[in-house]
Amino acid sequence: MIEIEVNGRTVEAEPGEMILHALQRAGVKVPTLCHIEDLAASGACRICVVEVEGRPGLVPSCAFPVAPGMKVRTHSQRAVAARQTIVELLLANHPDDCLYCIRNGNCRLQGLAEELGVRQRRYVGMKDEYKLDISSPSIVRDPSKCILCGRCVRVCEEVQAVGAIDFIGRGSQATVGTAFNEGLNVSSCVNCGQCIKACPTGALAEKTYIREVLAALQDPEMVVVAQHAPAVSVTLGELFGVAPGTDIDGVMVGALRQLGFDYVFDTSFTADLTIMEETSELIHRIQGGGALPMLTSCSPGWVKFIEEFYPEFLPNVSTCKSPQQMMGAVIKRFWAERMGIDPGRVFSVSIMPCTAKKFEAERPEMGEEGLADVDAVLTTRELAQVIRQRGLDMAAAQADTADTPFGERSTAGKIFGATGGVMEAAVRTAHYMLTGRELDDLAIPVLRGLEGRKEATVKIGPTEVGVAVVSGLGNARTLLDELRDGRRDLHFIEVMACPGGCISGGGQPIDVDLSAVRGRMQALYTLDAGGKMRTSHANASVLRLYEEFLGEPLGHKSHELLHTHYAAREEVVR
Amino acid sequence: MADFTGKSILLVDDDVDLLTGLVFQLKRLGFDTVTAETQRDGERLIDETTPDIAVFDLMLEHLDAGFTLCHRMKRKHPGTPVILLTGVTAETGLEFDTVTADERSWVKADAMLAKPIRFEQLQREIERLL
Repeated sequence: MIEIEVNGRTVEAEPGEMILHALQRAGVKVPTLCHIEDLAASGACRICVVEVEGRPGLVPSCAFPVAPGMKVRTHSQRAVAARQTIVELLLANHPDDCLYCIRNGNCRLQGLAEELGVRQRRYVGMKDEYKLDISSPSIVRDPSKCILCGRCVRVCEEVQAVGAIDFIGRGSQATVGTAFNEGLNVSSCVNCGQCIKACPTGALAEKTYIREVLAALQDPEMVVVAQHAPAVSVTLGELFGVAPGTDIDGVMVGALRQLGFDYVFDTSFTADLTIMEETSELIHRIQGGGALPMLTSCSPGWVKFIEEFYPEFLPNVSTCKSPQQMMGAVIKRFWAERMGIDPGRVFSVSIMPCTAKKFEAERPEMGEEGLADVDAVLTTRELAQVIRQRGLDMAAAQADTADTPFGERSTAGKIFGATGGVMEAAVRTAHYMLTGRELDDLAIPVLRGLEGRKEATVKIGPTEVGVAVVSGLGNARTLLDELRDGRRDLHFIEVMACPGGCISGGGQPIDVDLSAVRGRMQALYTLDAGGKMRTSHANASVLRLYEEFLGEPLGHKSHELLHTHYAAREEVVR
Repeated sequence: MADFTGKSILLVDDDVDLLTGLVFQLKRLGFDTVTAETQRDGERLIDETTPDIAVFDLMLEHLDAGFTLCHRMKRKHPGTPVILLTGVTAETGLEFDTVTADERSWVKADAMLAKPIRFEQLQREIERLL
């Protein structure tokens, strides 16, 4: 360790690290804009400039290494004035429509302008006018609000290894766009929405379906059914001031009923159903010589990633639809009939931590005879927006439980929300299916945690199964390349497109730190530890669905409703 | 693959590349295609043909051409589904929709798709409406 002086106080620093890191560790707040934790500094925005004694100019603290005895002043008049000027210049060509902006009240640029006391338009610049891109079913891009910080570009390329967007043009013409500046809809974008969470302004946002949902809720002809994903109940509270890591399942279900949803189901139920189907498929592949390793198919961003970049692995992808789509299918093609409701009158809404689910719901594979399995997808953020708009007081909301028959869930289905959850649930059920006994200890710690890749060899009876859990598509790409290079020791791989899994999905709250994501994960495992029903194969409602309708896992009905196939993508028409 | 052999589709769009691509794909689905590149020709075809479904661009020689074509279509062939395929939001920042009854009361289209589309989106709407 070395010592530097910050604002007259001695601070310890690691040799070679950037000033910003030392400052953050010491609790000295310096504003940042383009900086992304754990990625190399780009030094693009200069908002983190500090004064270093003996240097003629200000230095960007994110990209300037510490040196022994260095004297740093973080909030000198000069440094603050420079930051003010930077924000004023950014505002000079920024649209002045904060009141209409989706990020109003939650915008980093707005926050900085307030923090730095920018109250005058000292620079009047030409406003850049770019085309609004609403073509994607998941993400809306408004490049005129872009401040060129590059965070979306870096997350897309360096974290997700997708590279759907990049800088286009030079100098004052520079903008962020897709290849050939076509719509995101026809690009290689996988709709994961991590760029939305990275964007400091309103240049990137989810495509909202709030109007569609409200229109259905107001239509007396429609039976409006909601399903909510495992990660949502452990996150939604944060948007109403509840501490991260609090599960508000009951209150959320109560709120959905108050909003007018006729029925509320829990996607964790179809997560259990997914486990029954997917585990059976895995056993079938291992015993019958199918394509291995089998890759999970619950994450629609991941599915499109394979379609776009690794189509040779499509035979390895489980044919199971995702829990969202399984729920959509059983609602319209089983439940509606049982209830004597015309499926055409059912409006099926899913509440997801995810933007790619919007794309998935729209896929042609996900429906029958022009009837979509899921009609509209709202993110966690959008649900919070609707709740606020309708004036519901979450603190006073009556807790309620989900409806039968798709409301009962095991905690194995619930932990789908965290990276490793699908694998853990699958191993529990695979052990039972192959040996007839439960695992001695249902918790499998090696599969838990936020690391981008976890691997294990799991002993199931006499069989040793190689498993890997990957989250973040950059990590998935690395593993796929290993498989392509001949790696053969793995049987089953869980991939979640978003780093950390659904708890950190593209539809989750913006501008939170990792501790909130950890809290959400902890909440899921706490539910599991205290759960009465901890395995998918113990879910009585799932077993009843098989008895009364589906027959058996991988049976004829299951194939019709719960399975699908994906194909390599070719774009002909734009 | 869905089979629409024997069905006809009317397409009006001034983007000839798009039109060519759509015709290629729609023929693969079995459709007979009738195309026009202007509002004027589109109106003539509405009067002279009886398509099973129609797809209109919005901004042609008049900026609201697609709306006019939809109205004319619904007047001449009330039961025939119409899809508006438009880049109007990218061009103007204005957003139109067919979500509420109020919107559908004047935008006489059964669906709207924002350009650029993936063909599967159009196919899905056609399957839904036919």
